[in-house]
Formats: sequence, structure tokens, C-alpha cells
Amino acid sequence: MAKGVRMENIWKIFMPKVIALKNINVDIRPGEFFVILGPSGSGKTTLLRIIAGLEIPTRGRVVIGDQVVVDADKGVFVEPRDRNIGMVFQNWALYPHMTAYDNIAFPLRIKKLPREEIDKRVREVAEALGIAELLDRKPAHMSGGQQQRVAVARALVKQPDVLLLDEPFSNLDARIRVTAREFVKEIQKKLGITTILVTHDQADAFAVGDRVMVLRNGEMQQLGVPEELYGEPANVFIANFIGDPPMNIYKLSIDHPMVKQLGVLEEINEDYKEVYIGIRPDEAVALPLNEEGHLTGTVTIVEYVGSRRYAKLDLGNSISMRTLLECRADHGDKVRIRVYKLHIFAPDGKRIRTLTLVH
Amino acid sequence: MKKLFKYRRTGLIGSPYKILVLNIVAWVIGVLWITPFIGIFMTSIKPFREVVLHGWWTISPFTFTLKNYVDALFNPMFSLSRGILNSFIIAIPSTVIPVTVAALTAYGFARFSLPIKKYLFATILFLMAVPQQMTIIPIFFLSKNLSLLNTYLGLILVHSSWGIPWITFFLRNYFSLLPVELEEAARVDGATDFQVFRKVVLPLAIPGIISASVLQFAWVWNDFFFALMLIFDPDKMVVTQMLPRLKGQYQVDWGLLSSGSVIAMLAPLLVYAFFNKYYMSGFRGWAMKR
Amino acid sequence: MTQLKITPKRISFFIPALILILVFVVYPIIATIILSFNINPIPGVNIVERSPGFENYIKIATDKRFINPKGIETHSFPMGAIIHNVIWIAIHLPLTLIVGILFAVYLQYVRGGSIIRSFIFLGMVIPMIVGGLLILFSFDKDLGVVNLLLKLFGLGFLARTWTIYPDTALFSLILGSVWLWSGFSVTMYSAGLSSLPREVIEAAIVDGADFKTILFKVIIPMLKPVTLTVVAMTILWDLKIFDVVYAATQGGPGGASMVLALLMYEYFARLGDYAMSATVATVLTIIIIPVVIFWIRSVIRGEREV
Ligand SMILES: Nc1ncnc2c1ncn2[C@@H]1O[C@H](COP(=O)(O)OP(=O)(O)O)[C@@H](O)[C@H]1O
Ligand SMILES: [Mg+2]
Repeated sequence: MAKGVRMENIWKIFMPKVIALKNINVDIRPGEFFVILGPSGSGKTTLLRIIAGLEIPTRGRVVIGDQVVVDADKGVFVEPRDRNIGMVFQNWALYPHMTAYDNIAFPLRIKKLPREEIDKRVREVAEALGIAELLDRKPAHMSGGQQQRVAVARALVKQPDVLLLDEPFSNLDARIRVTAREFVKEIQKKLGITTILVTHDQADAFAVGDRVMVLRNGEMQQLGVPEELYGEPANVFIANFIGDPPMNIYKLSIDHPMVKQLGVLEEINEDYKEVYIGIRPDEAVALPLNEEGHLTGTVTIVEYVGSRRYAKLDLGNSISMRTLLECRADHGDKVRIRVYKLHIFAPDGKRIRTLTLVH
Repeated sequence: MKKLFKYRRTGLIGSPYKILVLNIVAWVIGVLWITPFIGIFMTSIKPFREVVLHGWWTISPFTFTLKNYVDALFNPMFSLSRGILNSFIIAIPSTVIPVTVAALTAYGFARFSLPIKKYLFATILFLMAVPQQMTIIPIFFLSKNLSLLNTYLGLILVHSSWGIPWITFFLRNYFSLLPVELEEAARVDGATDFQVFRKVVLPLAIPGIISASVLQFAWVWNDFFFALMLIFDPDKMVVTQMLPRLKGQYQVDWGLLSSGSVIAMLAPLLVYAFFNKYYMSGFRGWAMKR
Repeated sequence: MTQLKITPKRISFFIPALILILVFVVYPIIATIILSFNINPIPGVNIVERSPGFENYIKIATDKRFINPKGIETHSFPMGAIIHNVIWIAIHLPLTLIVGILFAVYLQYVRGGSIIRSFIFLGMVIPMIVGGLLILFSFDKDLGVVNLLLKLFGLGFLARTWTIYPDTALFSLILGSVWLWSGFSVTMYSAGLSSLPREVIEAAIVDGADFKTILFKVIIPMLKPVTLTVVAMTILWDLKIFDVVYAATQGGPGGASMVLALLMYEYFARLGDYAMSATVATVLTIIIIPVVIFWIRSVIRGEREV
């Protein structure tokens, strides 16, 4: 049933000179919920469209199950309609002139299935997605969340081998978003269908993804389970991109006092002149001055994010840092900073090491 | 009200008095503009003797009569009732055929990559502008050789072919403004190109299709030259073709001619009235992109 | 968006149109050109005995109905079809532009302006044959609006049936065609006006510009694309004019309102000289070509901007 998707050396160049994808290699496992995460313009949609067959890669090939669906070098191309793929578009692309029922039935009617069979399957999927009462409505008379479910139903009704979702949550209000994520994840697990979801929102990605691939400017940055991306970011870009509030990152020369204070030198073998040092706000804490710590700073701003409190600190030399705040402190107070985890990157941005500092 | 307010606020025109004068002047011009229509209509419902003696504009004497209409519709030589029927027989297929054929081509133009598309596009524009006179002689003999001369089918084929370029141009513009994702969704859902076209594109393009049809119908109905060249049999003549023949040899018989004119322009006027929105958008789209 | 690759199946979208256009439009155009050189590409046509070459073009250039030097010299009609067409453009085009832009701007601010606009548009809706008859009617000595107006203003002594005198026939038709065709320019300019960004005009008002300045310095320059279209379409229409003349004067009296399209028809129907008829048609098309190219360019330019 569920099929894997393998992409080999995928390049996509839009004439005259946009390189949308650079040598992408991924092996998506059968039944996996795979997420492609990246800022806008990073090539996510393009990659998804290549899998769907709406776009042809400039180079490379895509294999679904054991069928080569496109091989740019050999001139193989399977039309989208022959790939047995379900796709949910960013704006859902529901046919405005059809009711929800007709929208969902569309792929089956195209296949010329018998009427009773179509009816049975439409009602089944509508039931499963909780939209049975909406079937007579046209898209214009549905809420965003409802439209999304219809779009998912239309993608699922033909029992596709692979389900593709392009930013399915980005048009939803923050509140429905959470339920929508749970719902998509649930359906996916229930059906065990290989699913590829594209998003620019890390919360989406981490909420649903078994594995997450990060794209930037058409290049794959890192591929792993969410904990890996957060805990061991492969480079400065990912370190910066993932995590909220974002990681404090400094480019420091090797003899900078902070480098010494944090004991970085012992951990690097190559003789770099400069290194990047990253400290997540959630992995450092501001304490009263009498506590032990690595650094000292002055509170400039105190912020509340949910139930947590962060302090923006001035460390002198125009270095500032955001950390958790776990003591009474106000603007102008001096505090001690204790760092739990330290991310060290080479000058080219690649990760050297992630250190857990002990006390 | 809103318009007047805007106009005052912008200071384009000053006092309320001036505004009143400008409105009146505009309406006087507007009414003068359609006086020929009023005149021809009045003439058509009066006995021609009365028109000659007193003019069409008099309210008294005013004798209402439909005699002119009866004479025109059932004229022994050029029966306009037959002409109307013939015009419909010609105009309806000459609308359906080119709209169907051009819609396919327009879709291809909007969505398929063709190496020579730029030139084809320019050719289409050129064909929209060529005078009918440039094609008629060979068409005449071609029709003759194919036994299509003096037949409905011949004229229908000519009108259909003639309509294809502008309808293609118009619908191509219309199609290229439709959201592509819907078509892509359909392709992923398993539809062939033709199914995408028929089940997704056409239903979404219905307003455009109506616009094209309305305009093509009116133009075929209004056409005179092709009919003049290709139809001779009085039984097959279209209404525009019969009209000048009602003029009379020495003296223009305005009684007959006025009712004939009203009859001949009724169909396009009704189409214009009932499909106004479509007619105008088609009309604007014919002359320029959006 | 990405364009779909062309495949044999996709080519079939073009086939029906291609066949119809090739048979009934493209082939006839080519055949007409060839026929104008006295070479007979059409089975069934009997052309007058002349050797292949430019003879027809020479003949047409010396045909008085095409161009009449004597008439031109003495400023009297007929001057020949091509001159009549040129006069037509020279009078009709500026009037159309002026009427179009003035009415479009004016009617924006008039109550019920859209109704008046649709009155003006009626001329575009009706068959041009009826248009020609309406012109004939309007210039009639006893029944016509034109003479009624003259009488109203105390100029009754001028009243006559304008279309039957050589010196006024053409001018009557041209004025009539302004009346018929204004719907085009008014509609185009109105559409153009309503798509102009309001802010620009308002900015000019804030800057203290008066109405005349706004019209000439802001509105008219911004409507240039519309003007280009109206100019091209009007010239094409004037050159191709046929129905109106046929219905109103048949080119008369004495050829005083003869135009190219009608001359082509005369050669074909009355004289049966198909080669000459084709020559007139070709000349007409050649005259049209620069205008068409100008128009095609402006369309393609507009295309790129979208
Ligand atoms: N049809 C196209 N033609 C040219 N450039 C394109 C096209 N589609 C996408 N691009 C470019 O490719 C890059 C990646 O686009 P996309 O895949 O849509 O990014 P994302 O979905 O991550 O926002 C962007 O720079 C975009 O401008
Ligand atoms: Mg995208």
C-alpha cells in the first residue's frame, strides 16, 4: 500500500537563472510523515510539484515505490494523473463551481468508477474527516477549516500512494491551526499513508513530522527527527531558523574573552581565527550575582512569553543576549548567566560541536 | 448622489447651479443622439402618407398602424420574416461552432508551450484586422466548387472561420487569468488535458464564453458583406441583406424601410439589452486586453 | 506559471481551428494576392486576358474611380475611392477621439451618465446596414434630424437631402459615421478612465491643478494606451467601411462617395473582373498593414506588462 519516495540528484533551474533546487537527495520511507521546512522562496513548493509531476526537474530522478516517475536524464516522465498521488494545495484549490460532494467525487468520476462505488467512498471519507454534513455546500459557503478538510478528503478519496500537502495550515487562524495539525496527523497515522508536507512554520513541522528536512535557497541543510534539528543544528542557519525565541549567535574571534569564559578553546582542534558560538535562550539562565555562572550581564528588558520569563541582557562590548530569567531582576540589575548548552560552529557555519556544560 | 459629491469635493466643477446646467446639457445631447432611432421608430408605426404630410414627430395627427410591419414581414419579394428566420439559421451555428473551436485553441494558447507561439499570436491579431474583401473572391469560387455557394452551410463555415481569431484572442486572455492551481489539482486528481478543459476550465470560464458568444452572434447577425457575396436566393437571404432591397427604385419608401430597419436591428438590440454585462466585457476584450 | 509541454495529443487542441482558418482565411488571402497579379490560382475563375505582372496595379492607379486627379485639382467630388477613404480618416479620427475623451470624462460626472453612454453605444450594436439607412434618414430633407435642427436654428434655407449631392454626400456619410462609431471611443475611454488610479488625479487636485490641466496633463497622457487602440481601430474601420456606404448612397452620386471596399465589390459583382477586384482588395490590405503592425505591437507590449 504505502510507497516510499526517493529523490536522486534533483536540480531545478528556472530560466534564465533562478536555481530553485540544488542536488536534492532524500529517501522517504513508506508510511512516513515527512516534512519539508524552509523559509519562503527556498524551493519547497517546487520540490513538491516535482514529486506530483506538475514540474519537471532539470536534472535527477524521482522514484515512487519502485516506479521511476521522472528521470530528466533519460527523458522518462509519468503524467501526474498516472502517479496516484493525492495533493492538497496551499489555497486548497477547491473547484468553486462544484459542491463539496462533487469536489471529493471528482477524482473517482474521472476514473469512471460506478456511481454507487463513488457514493460509498465519498461518504466514507467525508465521515472519517467529519464533513458529512457539508457535502451539499459549495466552497464559498465553508470556513477555512472546512475547506481544508474537503481538500484533504478529495486528496484521500482515491486512496493515493502518497499524500502531498503544501502549507496546509498557513491559511488557517492560529486557533484552528492546532486542531487541524492534530487532525492531519491522526488521519495520517490511521491510514498509514506516506505523507509529505511542506511548511515554513517550524511549529507545524515539529507538531506533525516524523522526520524534517530543512531547505534553504534550494539546498538541503539538514535532515532528521525534530529533536536532532533542535538539539544539534547542523549549521548556523538552522540554529538561527529553528527555536523560538531564536538562538543567540555570536561570531567571535578566538581570543575574545567570552570564548575563554565559556571554555570553548579546549573543544576545537583546528586553529580557527574565529568561531560562531550559539546559546539558546532556553538553555541559559540569568541568576542573582551570588550564584555560579559563566558570564555577567546587565538586564535591559524583561519579556514574558507565555508563562516563561526572558531577560535581554547587555554583556558589554555591544554584545547582548536573551536568556531565561529565574530571579527577581529589573532594568539595570546585574546578573550572573549560567549556560547549560553551547553550540559551536566553524567560520563557514558548519557545526563543530554541541557542548553540555556541567556545574 | 455619491458621484456628484465626489465631483464637488474634487472641485472639478463649481456651484450646484452649474452642475444642474451640465446635467441638462448632457441629457439634451443624449436624447438628440438617439433621435434618428426615435424618428425611424415613429415613422414605422405611422402611415407613410401622414409622415410625409406632417412629419414623424407629430403627436397629432397620430394614427397608429402596423401596416408597415406587415408589409415588410410578408413582402412578396423580400419577406423579412423569412429573412429573420434565415438570420437565425445562420447566426446560431456561426456562434456555436467558432466559440467551441476557438475555446479549445485558446486554452492551448494559454497553457501549452509552443515554440512558435509568438508568431502564431501575431498572426491571429493580423487575421483579426484583415478586411473581408481580401478573402471573398477565393471563398466565392471555393464555395462554388464545393457546391456551398448559396447554401446556409457555406455561409456558416465562412462566418465560423472568420470568428475564430478574435474569439481565440479573447478567450485566451480570459483563460490565462483563471487560477492555475485548479487545473493542477485536476491533473493530480487524474484528469486528462481534455477533462481538465471540459470539467474545470469551461465551467469557470462561462462568463467569458457567454461574452464571446453574445458578441459573435451579434456580429454575424449584423454582417452584410459575406451574405451579399455568397447568398442569392431570396428565400435564403438574411435580413440585413434584404433590407437595402426594400429601398425602392426611384423614391425611398421610408414606411417599408423604417419598419424593416426596426425588425433587422431588434435581435442585436435585445441581445445587447439582456446580456449587457457580457456584451460590454466582450466588446472591451475584443479591442484590447482587459 | 509553467507552460505544459506540447505533445501530439495537445496539438489536437489546435487542429479544428487550424483547418477552418487555413481553408477559409489564410488560403483565400494568399490566393487573392496571387490573383491580383493575373495569375489564376483558383479553379473556376476566368480572368480577363492580361499577362502576369503588375498590370492591374498600373491599371488601378489610372482608374478614375480609384483616384481622380481632375477632382482633386478642382476640389470637387468624386476624387476617387482612396482619396475618399483618406478624407474619411482625416475627419473621422480626430472627431472620434475628441468626442470619445470629452464624453467619457463628462459623463462620469452626470447623473445617469451610464444611460447616456449606452445611448451613444447603440450605433455599435445595430447592423451597419441599418446604420447606413439611419444616416440616410437623418439627412433627408423632410424627415431628417439634421434638417430639423437647421430649421430650428433658423437655417431652414439650407435644408436639403444632403446625401444626393456630390459635394455633400461624402461629408454626410462621414458625419454619420462619427455618430455611429462614437460608441466605440466613448466606451473605450470610459473603461480606461475607470481603471485609472484615483489617487493620481486626486494628487493633482491637491497640488492645485485646475480641470483643464488635469485633463491635458494627467488624464489624457495616462490614457495613451487607450488612445493607441482607438486610433488603430478607427483607422481600420474607416478603411474597411462598406455597409454604411452601400446602404446610404451606393457610392453615388456619380461615385462621389465611392470607397475602396465598395470599389472592390463593383469590380467583382458588376464588372466581373475578378483580377481587378483582387487588386483593389490587396491595395486595401497593403494600406491597412502599417496600422495593423502598429496595433499588434501595442497589444504585444501590453501583454508583456501584465
Ligand atoms: N515558475 C517559476 N518560474 C520562475 N521562477 C520560479 C517559478 N516557480 C518558483 N520560482 C522560484 O523558485 C524559487 C523557489 O520557489 P518555491 O518553490 O515556490 O519556494 P517556496 O515554496 O519554498 O516558497 C523562488 O525563488 C521562486 O521565485
Ligand atoms: Mg510555497
